[in-house]
Amino acid sequence: MVEQTNDKTDYYLASLHELGEVLIKEEQTQDMGRGILRLTLGTIMASKGAIFLYDKEKEIYFSLATQGFNEPGPLSSTPSQIEKLKYYSHGHILIEVAKKTFTKEMNLALDSFNAKIIIPLFYRNTFLGVVAVGKKFMNEEYSRADMKVLEIIANHLTKALFNYQILQNLEDKQNQLNLKLLELETLFDISVAISSVLNVEDLQEEILWRSIGVLNASKGVVLTPKDNSPIMEISASFNWQDENVLLSNKLKVFSRAIKEKRGTILTEKNKTSIQEKLGEENIIVAPLQAKDKNLGFMLLCNKETRTGNEPFNQNDRELLSSLCNQAAVALDNARLFKDITEEKQFNESILGSIATGVITLDTIGEIDSINHAGIKILKKEKKEILGNHYMFLFERDETIMALIQKTETEQKPQSEQSVSFLTVSDETIVNVSVAPRVDADNNVHGVVLAIEDITQQSKIKNTFKRYVSKQIVDQLLDDDARLNLGGEKRTVTILFTDIRGFTAMSEKMKPEEVVSTLNEYFSEMIDIVFKNNGTLDKIVGDELMIVFGAPILGDDDTERAVRTAQEMMDTLKKLNKKRNKRGMSNIHIGIGINSGPVVSGNIGSREMMDYTVIGDAVNLGARLCSNAAPGEIIASETVYNNTKDKFSFEKLEPIFVKGKKEKVEIYRAI
Amino acid sequence: MADFSLKSRDEGDIVVIETDGYLNNLGGEEVAKACYERIDEGRTKFLLNLENSKVVNSIGVSILIEIIEKLQDVDGKLAYYNLAPIVEKTFSIMGLTKYSSIYASEAEAIENMA
Repeated sequence: MVEQTNDKTDYYLASLHELGEVLIKEEQTQDMGRGILRLTLGTIMASKGAIFLYDKEKEIYFSLATQGFNEPGPLSSTPSQIEKLKYYSHGHILIEVAKKTFTKEMNLALDSFNAKIIIPLFYRNTFLGVVAVGKKFMNEEYSRADMKVLEIIANHLTKALFNYQILQNLEDKQNQLNLKLLELETLFDISVAISSVLNVEDLQEEILWRSIGVLNASKGVVLTPKDNSPIMEISASFNWQDENVLLSNKLKVFSRAIKEKRGTILTEKNKTSIQEKLGEENIIVAPLQAKDKNLGFMLLCNKETRTGNEPFNQNDRELLSSLCNQAAVALDNARLFKDITEEKQFNESILGSIATGVITLDTIGEIDSINHAGIKILKKEKKEILGNHYMFLFERDETIMALIQKTETEQKPQSEQSVSFLTVSDETIVNVSVAPRVDADNNVHGVVLAIEDITQQSKIKNTFKRYVSKQIVDQLLDDDARLNLGGEKRTVTILFTDIRGFTAMSEKMKPEEVVSTLNEYFSEMIDIVFKNNGTLDKIVGDELMIVFGAPILGDDDTERAVRTAQEMMDTLKKLNKKRNKRGMSNIHIGIGINSGPVVSGNIGSREMMDYTVIGDAVNLGARLCSNAAPGEIIASETVYNNTKDKFSFEKLEPIFVKGKKEKVEIYRAI
Repeated sequence: MADFSLKSRDEGDIVVIETDGYLNNLGGEEVAKACYERIDEGRTKFLLNLENSKVVNSIGVSILIEIIEKLQDVDGKLAYYNLAPIVEKTFSIMGLTKYSSIYASEAEAIENMA
């Protein structure tokens, strides 16, 4: 008997020892539960049993481990029943008593394996569940030792389960903490994006993706308002099938979001038109607002879980609102940056395309920008210009330096026309304007120089201003490709005129009278020349040489020459009448006109150079003039042939002229 | 982004899975399915190319955790490459990187997983 008892004790002790192993070996609660149940049933020689754990929140039992019967589903319970079980917290309950505390559901489950003994598992005051064992092997009675062992095992099981619960809670808490950390990191990242430069479209996408990931949404869009329409544009999307869906910012959900300045949650309980439109029940919308400016909305659908979709919650709303607030600032910055960049590019392309050099100086007078035209005008490399002080760059140009200094002092624009620009060369002539450089607050931050290179225009003007009408100067300025100062063959019409008997006339006059007579005469004649776009080639004494067809060739050069001659004669008549009234004698002129090939160009030495024409045709013109009687216009055959349709001529006897063997045909213009 | 899809190929003893799409519940399940099938065949090394999965949510993460735990039972490994910065950060915060590795390229992953 004693030996039997000793064997039994050894057996029990071995089981308890094994219990310790099971408790510490198994990592998963379920494996541990199965192990404990097997050990328990094995120790007390029962074949069927179960461990039920209690879920306080849901007020149900669920099976941790079962043996010998089919595992039941969740079994209901009530807190009052748990209270009753507390009486038996350190012991066991026979099934007949226990059934009075359990629900019908639980009792059915216990009956299914013929449960006999129930051990409630209490850790201090916390109810964790119950162990239920069926009948002993061969229907033997449970001994006191069996009960004791059961209670000991249950005790250890309780502690182990409690620890597992703590660990599980810890794990859950860790998970929640990690998720919170992820939310914070997302917010932080977006705030970093505010200060970094990001393309607007990329930024919208980035923010949308992050929000979707953190909120476990299935899809979403960023909506941006359009200027002339209430329908918003989808400016970023994720998993969004219908890009053509029209969402108006007048929909209540959006206006509410703006008004409340935070997100709105839509569920199947508060259905609105937008849910119908999108075919989704669970939606969350938050406004993107920066400085009271609405930049749009973020709209997400379907909060995902392992078991399906569920509505978004308050935490989601708070998080999305925070994300969107940050996002709005980042987007506003990105848009501003885009606008500034576009404006900068626009300004640069304007500056790049104009012919005027634009140079900016900073507050200390150093050059901080120059456009393409400026570089061309200065004839320097950009790196030689930027960063240098204007006093260094323009040290040879006192006028320009003075202009800059005056602008700096008086803070008013200054300008100067036709200034020598010795910085470039001795010949360079420019127009310069200098203006103070102001910012948005009207603070002055240096100056802006505008330099217009007028060297070429100056050359033309200087070459021709005395010789041609303004019209021709303008034409030349417009198209100086027509100009070839170096020498060119062309066909022109030359008109010579001189005053008949001037020498004799001048001998009878005082010197000042000679000068005034000539000036008066020339003034009238040259006006007519310019009126007909002739070129005053030279004045030699009382002789005028006029060229038609140089520097600019015309279709009607010869015609204009003849017209000029006739107008000269008519004007002279009027001039003579005036002179007569003053008691002065008449002036008489003869005119010769010829057309032919010449060479035109700037002829002379470097110091003394004139634009003129030379050639045989010129000489003939002069000869014809010599042969013209007072008041007579003599034209060559070429001139006659070119203009006989327009003017009347009288054929004269051919004459010999110096330099020609044959007689030349001549005609008098009537 | 379109619906989720994946492609699988073998590089020696490593199963390389290239994903395309949102790594959420559905995407995660597909990855898990692909991995479990190969684990049943005796494969133990898995490398995920997440270049085209720029968004991973917490459900996707939890599924990856399950895959890692399953691989631990067979002494296996899970690794990733071509992670978007946000995904890498998510994995790091959620603790995945303690039990799985991130590599800069497929070549580096293959070298280290050999």
